[in-house]
Amino acid sequence: MKTSTILKYILLGIFNALMFYVVPLAISYESWFFLLIIGIITFLVNITYITNKLKPLKWITPGFIFLISFVLFPAGYNFYVSFTNWQTGHILTKTQVIERLEDLTYSTEEQKGVEFDLYVMQDSNLDFFFLADFDQDNLLFGRAVTSDQFEDIEYATHEPSFKDSNNNITIPESFYLLSGKEQIANSSTLQDLSLLVDKNTRIKLYNISVFGASSGRIFSSQQKYTYDKDSEILYDNRKNVACTLGDRGNFICGGESVDPGWRINVGTENYQRIVDDQRFRGPLSTVAKWTFQFAFFSVVLAFIVGLLLAITLNNEKVRFQKLYRSIYIIPYAIPAFISILVFRGLLNPDFGLVNDWLDPLYQLFNIEPIRWFRTEESSKAAVLLVNTWLGFPYMFLIVTGALQSIPNELIEASKVDGATPRQSFFKITFPLLLVSISPLLIGAFAFNFNNFTLIFLLTGGGPPIVGADVSVGYTDILISFTYNLAVSGGRGVQFGLAAAVTTLIFFLVLIISAISFRYSKRLERVYGNI
Amino acid sequence: METYKLSTWFREYGWRHLVGLTFVVFSMYPILYVLSNSFADFPNLENSKLIPDSFTLKHYQSLYGDPLVPYFKWLFNTYKIASLAGFFNVLLGTFAGYAFARLKFRGRRVGLITLVLIQMFPAFLAFVAIYLLFFQISDIAPFMGLGTHFGLICVYLGGSIGFNSWLIKGFMDTIPESLDEAAKVDGATDSQIFFRIVAPLARPIIVVLFVLTFIGIYSDYILAAVFLKDTNLYTVALGINVVFTDDFSNEWGSIAAASVIAATPIAVLFLFFQKQITGGLTAGSIKG
Repeated sequence: MKTSTILKYILLGIFNALMFYVVPLAISYESWFFLLIIGIITFLVNITYITNKLKPLKWITPGFIFLISFVLFPAGYNFYVSFTNWQTGHILTKTQVIERLEDLTYSTEEQKGVEFDLYVMQDSNLDFFFLADFDQDNLLFGRAVTSDQFEDIEYATHEPSFKDSNNNITIPESFYLLSGKEQIANSSTLQDLSLLVDKNTRIKLYNISVFGASSGRIFSSQQKYTYDKDSEILYDNRKNVACTLGDRGNFICGGESVDPGWRINVGTENYQRIVDDQRFRGPLSTVAKWTFQFAFFSVVLAFIVGLLLAITLNNEKVRFQKLYRSIYIIPYAIPAFISILVFRGLLNPDFGLVNDWLDPLYQLFNIEPIRWFRTEESSKAAVLLVNTWLGFPYMFLIVTGALQSIPNELIEASKVDGATPRQSFFKITFPLLLVSISPLLIGAFAFNFNNFTLIFLLTGGGPPIVGADVSVGYTDILISFTYNLAVSGGRGVQFGLAAAVTTLIFFLVLIISAISFRYSKRLERVYGNI
Repeated sequence: METYKLSTWFREYGWRHLVGLTFVVFSMYPILYVLSNSFADFPNLENSKLIPDSFTLKHYQSLYGDPLVPYFKWLFNTYKIASLAGFFNVLLGTFAGYAFARLKFRGRRVGLITLVLIQMFPAFLAFVAIYLLFFQISDIAPFMGLGTHFGLICVYLGGSIGFNSWLIKGFMDTIPESLDEAAKVDGATDSQIFFRIVAPLARPIIVVLFVLTFIGIYSDYILAAVFLKDTNLYTVALGINVVFTDDFSNEWGSIAAASVIAATPIAVLFLFFQKQITGGLTAGSIKG
């Protein structure tokens, strides 16, 4: 066998081993979606590389695995999520919720009366240990821990060696027995500590005695909920009621729903909220309107500047052309997240340089300085200003390229026919320019439509719209609005709703692209014969 | 006579320089400002100006050694993620591009159109689903779950592979097929033709696409923000914007220094490949 073949089988082996390692885990977490994807990918890879009949697939499959798993599949998954109530309080699956509920406990005080001697000691690390003289067979010893350490600590053990033959307590050298006074001095720490006996039982210090031994008490906790799989009923052991399944992905106990709930399919509810819910629809339509305005004006402003510069410099006799060009490209070369940060400094309303320059103007016209980012208008102006800075180099480049590709004979011919420079520009140059770059303009529109980085980093969407039902600001565009819904809403995350809005954006992008396609086709037909 | 000449000069060329220079100031001002401020010896944004009175390196030094602001770790993370994702993205894209360009098979057209259609939608649009997907992967395969670089690299890998293979295919179409025909006659296999002939000839586009993908990932904010929660694992875009901006005005010097360090290599890379990047082949699709 050739080395390449051996290598192929080794790689395939590693791949399959990895996939099969994940299968039992996926089953244990009941991620059927995941299992399906793994199955499809494993099958594809194996038939591609073992059989020799699918030559093209051998080259395509590796890339397509990533394309399918992390682009195509998330798009579909997003659509699925938009039909669920996946949000704060409904994050987990039903199985996970039941597991979690069955882990909950509550304290009973039945054994309140039982008291016994409790000795408090410290080891060399100053950690506390309890020794409880419960009865003859239970001289319980162990580390005393706070409630957040309950999970990872071992239970108390019976240690007969801590008593001598006269039934007196003897403490090993390595421990220090605290006196009553020392216990009082540490009482605030000690009252939070427990000695765990088993999962549901713990011992706490109850009464500190200065002269004799202090006393301890047993606290036992009971499982709060028990779930019966067959009847699908959850029993609340404390209140002694049976809880039934609600229709919103919760258990209902005596009229109240139990938290946490699980995620369920809610049909088109999220979409209905977009359409019907006044408190949500209001902010959303504000955001949607601004998204279109923002994308449109961003393109138009950058285009105007780019066009102006391109026309200005598109003359062979203008000197330093190369220098101008290389300078104009620089804003484009800098990562946007850096430039935006710098503009935040420049436009800062209190300390920024822009307000320093404008100061003479403010004085002259006796007006208040612009409170950049603090008012709706100034924030929108700032966003557009910065985006013009970020976007004009691209426009300059493409317009220059398009201008240079327009045959000079056309302009010359129009001159001969008596056209003024203005006429030949508006009748010949500009229309031809639009033909060649309108797809790029629409592309720029689509890009700005989802220009999350600019909005999120420059204004964070702010200033906030006061009184809206969701966290939203005047400069938020659809994608940053969605991001807030899903990641940092302040009022809990709403994945289902966010996914529904994203689906909406998907369709808008689709429409924009379709328009772009048809528009460029039509222009080609009109001007294509020139 | 002299004034007449000057005014004609102005009407013909002077105004062009006037407009040109205005926009030179417009485009260079923020850049010079951050550059000078990174070396300037003033305490905060309030006292900042374009040309500082005295210079210092203290802002650059302040980026070292603070464990709460591991700036150079962010830089390292970013270079690691962007180069790995960029490399594999272009590698797998070249494979696929080769198949579409050279191997005739059924469904080739449909496959190509699908690629273009998929990449019409920016990959980050589905960030909610990506978050939830990796939230669940965290349970099953923690090494590539939420918060890991490995998972983030996988997402970036998918992000532009379709687009890249489409462009590579387009470039490979311009490589004369007679070259592979000749090799085939000599008994070369598909992979030999790929590695010895087609891929080396397609190197210009491969390099440019790597640079573009690298810059795109370097500049990404939203996916990194959705994915990474541990400050030590942040990318530089995330680190500068999340950690530094807590105390924007007082941190201004450090922000300027951090910006200069983060932006310079990318700007140089971009300007170096400027011709290829802005050339017709990638028109309209650059930079994220």
